[in-house]
Amino acid sequence: MIRKPSLNPITRKKLQRFRSIKRGYWSFLLLFFLFGFSLLGELFVNKRALLVWHEGELFFPTYGSQIAGKTFGLDYEYETNYRELKRKFQEDDSSHWVLMPPVPYDPFEMDYAKEDSTGFSPPSLADGHFCGTDKTERDVLARLLYGFRIAMIFSFGYLILIYIIAICAGCLMGYFGGKTDILGLRLVEIWANVPFLYMVIILVSVMPGWWGIGWQVASLLFIMVLFSWTGMTYYVRAAVYKEKARDYVAAARVLGASPFRVIFRHLLPNVISTLVTFAPFTVAAAISSITALDFLGYGLPAPTPSWGELLKQGVSNLRIAPWIVISTVSALVLTLTLVTFVGEAVREAFDPKKFSTYE
Amino acid sequence: MKSMYLRINPFLTASLILLAGCDDHKLKQPREDVAKTSSEESSRDGREIDREFARTLAREFGREFAREFARQLAEGNQSIAVPTIASAGTVDETLEKGEFVNANGRAHPLIAHCSEDVLEFYSKHPDAFSIENTSAIPADLEWEDGSDESEFASPKAKKGGTWNVFMSDFPRTLRTIGPDANGAFRSYLLDYNALSLVMPHPNSDGYYPGLAKSWAVGKDGKTVFFQLDPDARYSDGNPVRASDFLFTFYFMRSKHVQAPWYNDFYGKDKFLKVTLYDEKTLSIKFYKAKPDVVERVSLRPIPEHFYIELDGEFLKKYQWKPEPTTGPYVALPENIDKGKSVTLVRQKDWWANQKKFHRYRFNPDRIHVTVIRDYNKAFEIFLKGGIDMFGLAKTEFWYEKIPDEHPLVVNGYLTKLTFFNQIPPPSYAMRINSQKPPLDNKDARIGLHHAMNFDLILKKIFRGDYVRMNTMADGYGARSHPTLRAREFSVEKATEYFAKAGYSKRGPDGILVNKKGERLSVEVMTGYKHYEDVLVVLKEEAKKAGLELKLKILERTAAWKTAGEKNHQVVFSAFNSFVELFPRFWEPYHSDNAYEETGDSKFEADGSLKPNLTTKPSTNNFTQTAVREIDHLIDLYRPEEDLGKITEMAHQLSTMIHDHGVYVPAWKKPWLRVGHWNWVKFPEDWGPKETRDYEEFQVFWIEESAKDKILKAQKEGKPVAEKPTVRVYEKYKNN
Repeated sequence: MIRKPSLNPITRKKLQRFRSIKRGYWSFLLLFFLFGFSLLGELFVNKRALLVWHEGELFFPTYGSQIAGKTFGLDYEYETNYRELKRKFQEDDSSHWVLMPPVPYDPFEMDYAKEDSTGFSPPSLADGHFCGTDKTERDVLARLLYGFRIAMIFSFGYLILIYIIAICAGCLMGYFGGKTDILGLRLVEIWANVPFLYMVIILVSVMPGWWGIGWQVASLLFIMVLFSWTGMTYYVRAAVYKEKARDYVAAARVLGASPFRVIFRHLLPNVISTLVTFAPFTVAAAISSITALDFLGYGLPAPTPSWGELLKQGVSNLRIAPWIVISTVSALVLTLTLVTFVGEAVREAFDPKKFSTYE
Repeated sequence: MKSMYLRINPFLTASLILLAGCDDHKLKQPREDVAKTSSEESSRDGREIDREFARTLAREFGREFAREFARQLAEGNQSIAVPTIASAGTVDETLEKGEFVNANGRAHPLIAHCSEDVLEFYSKHPDAFSIENTSAIPADLEWEDGSDESEFASPKAKKGGTWNVFMSDFPRTLRTIGPDANGAFRSYLLDYNALSLVMPHPNSDGYYPGLAKSWAVGKDGKTVFFQLDPDARYSDGNPVRASDFLFTFYFMRSKHVQAPWYNDFYGKDKFLKVTLYDEKTLSIKFYKAKPDVVERVSLRPIPEHFYIELDGEFLKKYQWKPEPTTGPYVALPENIDKGKSVTLVRQKDWWANQKKFHRYRFNPDRIHVTVIRDYNKAFEIFLKGGIDMFGLAKTEFWYEKIPDEHPLVVNGYLTKLTFFNQIPPPSYAMRINSQKPPLDNKDARIGLHHAMNFDLILKKIFRGDYVRMNTMADGYGARSHPTLRAREFSVEKATEYFAKAGYSKRGPDGILVNKKGERLSVEVMTGYKHYEDVLVVLKEEAKKAGLELKLKILERTAAWKTAGEKNHQVVFSAFNSFVELFPRFWEPYHSDNAYEETGDSKFEADGSLKPNLTTKPSTNNFTQTAVREIDHLIDLYRPEEDLGKITEMAHQLSTMIHDHGVYVPAWKKPWLRVGHWNWVKFPEDWGPKETRDYEEFQVFWIEESAKDKILKAQKEGKPVAEKPTVRVYEKYKNN
């Protein structure tokens, strides 16, 4: 029998309350929008054109394979430089045209088009570098946007993995108690004492180089999760301890439910509300750690766009290129503030004092 | 072109060094298993056994043994080889020439002060060390004393003042040898300070006297005779004795110093024989009659009286006990502020104070070396006047952080200068591992050459200040190939070569693929985080040629480890090439450094490599070059003693390596760029032509009065010069 998914009334009440906390709710919407925007980043910030009209044919270069310059009558086989193509079409005064995104740069490409450009160009509306460029003339805004996307995806992945591990370990210890609990807790304590940063630095430096960037990012994520899941376990364990003494758990057990079923069908939904309040803060922690690691040079492999890398460049060139630090720090502060606002609202909305009923 | 570094900082010469603000590199030293060495073992046990007793016992036993030996010899048993110690068994009391210890255990007067262990060491190597009468010095030697060379320092130099510099980390020891000794600070103890026998003149091909007042090359072209300066003494007042150079070998070959590199460098295979004639005369025989043999054997003495007890406690005992030096500056323990700074003080009565070539150098009274861990912070301190001088080689420092319009420069407080020098540049290059596919194919390698847009790097990142390096042996004067040029960036040529290598179609991401569908993707590894931007630009540009570069930027040690294991595809790295007469090919290009199999056994009859060869790790052949013809030429090149032939072969080898396509030369900078406060004064030409580093020859001086004046003017906001103090010294500029 398939139950129609419906929220339980307490949860619905909690969500309503969350919506009523305006600051948190709007922060949530804004963050959601920003993330959505970054996912569609290729349409707004990209060196590839949105549309090209050439010889009676319409091209959509944004997604898909790259189109060689020869296709548009240029003399090279590598990827078309659409900004130049646009200029060429305009100069030729032909009927062909190119529609570029608002920021016509991608995060990897160096804009050495101008003779005197040698890095660190200040923000300029005319060139389309709204936040200026970095040391190798890469667009700061593009790197910020794609860096944000990677950081967000990274932190969601981090959140999910941490929760999976912490819930499993915490529930096991909490539900079975006794020796499982004592042994498990000791293991967690030992594990928690492994210095996180050193381990990350060591493991990152021995990662095999033939891995693609995707694998390297994923393994960085795994390494970070591996050494930071322990904190959450304590909360899960305590919450499970509290809940398992309740009558409904006893009832389920009497009915013959397996421990697995009791944990995941009965306990977890009641425990999860405690955990949800931690979620936004975990995201914030993930964003700051990936930025910090990048800043130290142990994070994402070059030339992946990242905020830490931007910060590092900005700090060491504070006098000559203040726009890098200004835009990166603003973005970082904005994101972390939004996440924190969401977190505070969630915590308030899910406050057990308001909804718990004790028999 | 000579190698002053060879002796005073030999470790650096062989190692890959850190450049541009990262001077603290340590090459992984092959650690010997300490437990295996018997001497180490005995010294440990020595704590429990009375060592004096053990020695007496050993000597008695030796004498007994020798007598027995002599007896057998007298009986006609000629087949037994005669050990030197046998002479100790003869009844003769007088000291024969070549004898260290006579029958009564009395040592030769020249080495009478030596400890038992040292004497034993000499006696064990009679073929390597000897004592002769002065009559044994050939009469027809042409003694030189460097008097025809001109001084390279300025007579205007004034003594006094404090020279403020920084180091990025506090030295972990004040030893100059052994673990942790190879830090940046050691240069202040050795390179910029201590003297060796003879110093290569930095403005000419000649030499100027150091500890030796005159020297002569023997008829065989291998032996060099030295006469020590009678005034030469250490900072503790003890004179420099000829026997200290003998002791150098005992010391450097000792297991106790835990320095395998030195153990090997001072080995018997290179230094064939050291002979003492009197307190102040010695000769050293090198293994080959190289044109630059004088500097090859120009050693630095080790003060024997200081290391009188060299044992297993060496590292601990001398950790913070600086060795007496022959140079002007001493690091006294009371001037060390642990973790913060070291102040070196100039000896007022330094023995070479009035000697030509030394009198106008080493001018500041004190050298104050402070620890500043962050490079950018050090720069800010420099701008505040806390550091007197700062290297401005980095583009962003020169152009952005202290531009010519900077108030400090405009007002004449601070000078920015460019000095064109003439030294072999550090060999920045991409070294392609020719063993790993797809770069085991020569066409793929040459395609990669053409896909590297170094021109753009030079133009944009280095703003036209650096120039392209052309061969693997640039900067060796006539020995460098005159016409060979690095392959230029060309998408057409690159794709043409890649097509020859089978990569002819472009994939959906624009990267070339071959028939099997393999993408043309290559990993470039480096330990230079500060050149990340260079690699990023190369990566983007290489895409145009259909080549994907995957960047792997590692910690320095991790990078060298990977490269040492030959696990890389391409490594971007640099060797510090020291000032030397001719380039080295054996280390980086001989197949014996690529595979364990020796000589021609690794080649098939047609010259191709046999399958299943064993890769040889931890050598400098990072390109895994193994070409029979190159091998054969290198084998001829190494023992060659004629400079003309050496030149010809060096050109041939450069061409062959260029054709083999394993080395993509990057850039070189033909100058030094430095910023200094204007209370630091320099000679007219700023420095000698072979200046590698502004501190190297210590020709500057500090004008205390100017310092007060500048600081006062700065406070009042008044300029001290009419136009910005930006200077260029082009005297030694090569075109």
